[in-house]
Amino acid sequence: MNIAVILKQVPDTEAVVKPDPAKPGAILETDIKFILNTYDEYAVEEAVRIVEKTGGEAVGVCIGPERAEAAIRSALAMGLSRALWVSEPDAVSADVITQAKVLAAAIKTLSPGLVLCGREMIDTQEDAIASAAAQFLDMPQVLNAAKITIDGEKAVVLREVESASLEIEAKLPAVISCGKGLNEPRYPNLMSIKKAKNKEIKKLTLAELGLQAGPAKARIAALEAPAPRAKGVRVEGEVASMVAQGVDWLMKVAKVV
Amino acid sequence: MAGILVWVETFNGELRKASREALGAGQKFADHQKVSLDAVVFNAGPAALAELGSMGLRKLFTVSGESFAKYSSEGYCAAVAEAGLKSGADVYLACASSLGRDLTGRLAAKLDAALATDVTEILWDKTPLSVRRPVYSGKLLAQTELLASCKVLSLRPNVFAPAQTRTGAVETVALTLADVKIRAQVQKAVAAAQGVLDVTEAEIIVSGGRGVGGPDGFKVIEGLAHTLNAAVGASRAAVDAGWIPYAHQVGQTGKVVSPVLYIACGISGAIQHFAGMGSSKFIVAVNIDKEAPIMAKADFAIVGDLFKVVPVLQQELAKARAK
Repeated sequence: MNIAVILKQVPDTEAVVKPDPAKPGAILETDIKFILNTYDEYAVEEAVRIVEKTGGEAVGVCIGPERAEAAIRSALAMGLSRALWVSEPDAVSADVITQAKVLAAAIKTLSPGLVLCGREMIDTQEDAIASAAAQFLDMPQVLNAAKITIDGEKAVVLREVESASLEIEAKLPAVISCGKGLNEPRYPNLMSIKKAKNKEIKKLTLAELGLQAGPAKARIAALEAPAPRAKGVRVEGEVASMVAQGVDWLMKVAKVV
Repeated sequence: MAGILVWVETFNGELRKASREALGAGQKFADHQKVSLDAVVFNAGPAALAELGSMGLRKLFTVSGESFAKYSSEGYCAAVAEAGLKSGADVYLACASSLGRDLTGRLAAKLDAALATDVTEILWDKTPLSVRRPVYSGKLLAQTELLASCKVLSLRPNVFAPAQTRTGAVETVALTLADVKIRAQVQKAVAAAQGVLDVTEAEIIVSGGRGVGGPDGFKVIEGLAHTLNAAVGASRAAVDAGWIPYAHQVGQTGKVVSPVLYIACGISGAIQHFAGMGSSKFIVAVNIDKEAPIMAKADFAIVGDLFKVVPVLQQELAKARAK
């Protein structure tokens, strides 16, 4: 089975991000370490494991600027065989629905039996790529998978929602977004990293995908730092006294008790 | 703007709290834009229907039947789109629950709409319609303009005020859909234990971290949670150590929560944890280490051993509640 894996490059979770005053909606990229989106690692790992079992190939599909090559290479080092990459600014800066449409068009060229992606992009905190791409690909979707079992023409997926764990059967091809706990992503060894340097990354333009840049459906007008929290109260010393002050505060200030 | 349609999520036939909030945002929206407010609900029980009948809705689209007995992305998306067509709505609101998030992405793609997920603020006075939503693990807020004529929004639970009771008769429209293609279907649903509150929906969360020391340590956390009718949360460290299931994890790789009160016990408050609970209205921290990052962010910080502080806190709160 061939598997398409959606990839994105994002700032490291520890990164201190600041709005770029010159570019509304963008962050200052100096001193930022970029990584493969944390959840994409689960998707890559799962794809590689399935292909190791069933044959076929696992191919990365990425929208991202020039710097994104590093993230694509790290996914290739984990075992993807090659990747498709759209780096046109019109696609890179597009809203999530437009990006899903571009990704779907690129994925279609692979005729995959399964499409995997991370549960969420940790930069934009966006988790709609899977469901939007599924709609454009006319495939079913399952989000935030904790376990995937491929069983012939279908995938059996476990996921959690607020009040229940669900077992969902999805007819293949399907789009599945991958969450924590699905697997333990591998650390590529030196040999794999070296091999990844020679794997094919094919750039695609919107025109080659039969698309053209349209008006933006949504755009980030500004990035703002959240209002700082007011300075709090701190108590130290005797447990009884601290608790008494705590209860008083909970009743009078927080008013929740 | 032409009209608003709210997707109402039910659980065991009753409205979800987060859906009452989406309806509340819908009321405010409709008042502000002077447009109609409609809703679509699946498998609503009598109590839910009665409640939806007193919210000042213009139309209530009801969906039931075998194809819709269980949630499916494709079935629900088709039905909500059909309701939207009949309603004439161009703004779709949903709660950003697991299923709300599942639905809205597909719906926005189907409608070629502008999508904003996990919205924490609607900027009522901006044109074009703009919202705020957290990005970069909550380190920044994005002010997003929704430019397409059709807009789909999912709203973060516990942030928006619930719907008010309003007078006026609602017109109920039963939707029937033929030939819905459903290729992903829930086969089994194992419900969480009775009385176990999910962290994303709780008003109060009592959370434990590395300082809890082991699975037995969580009994102290559960004790306080029980007294406060709170949900039990956990940091990644506690979940990775296997002390408590992943469903309880709050943070960047867990759940994002916005309770009124978050009590962090033995949690250092790494940036990834803060990403999941930083929008809590009040934060209380109990930590033996006064230099822990959480202590600087807490509204009320107790420097002390959680095993000594938390049981006494539970006892005193129980007394205060009984008064």
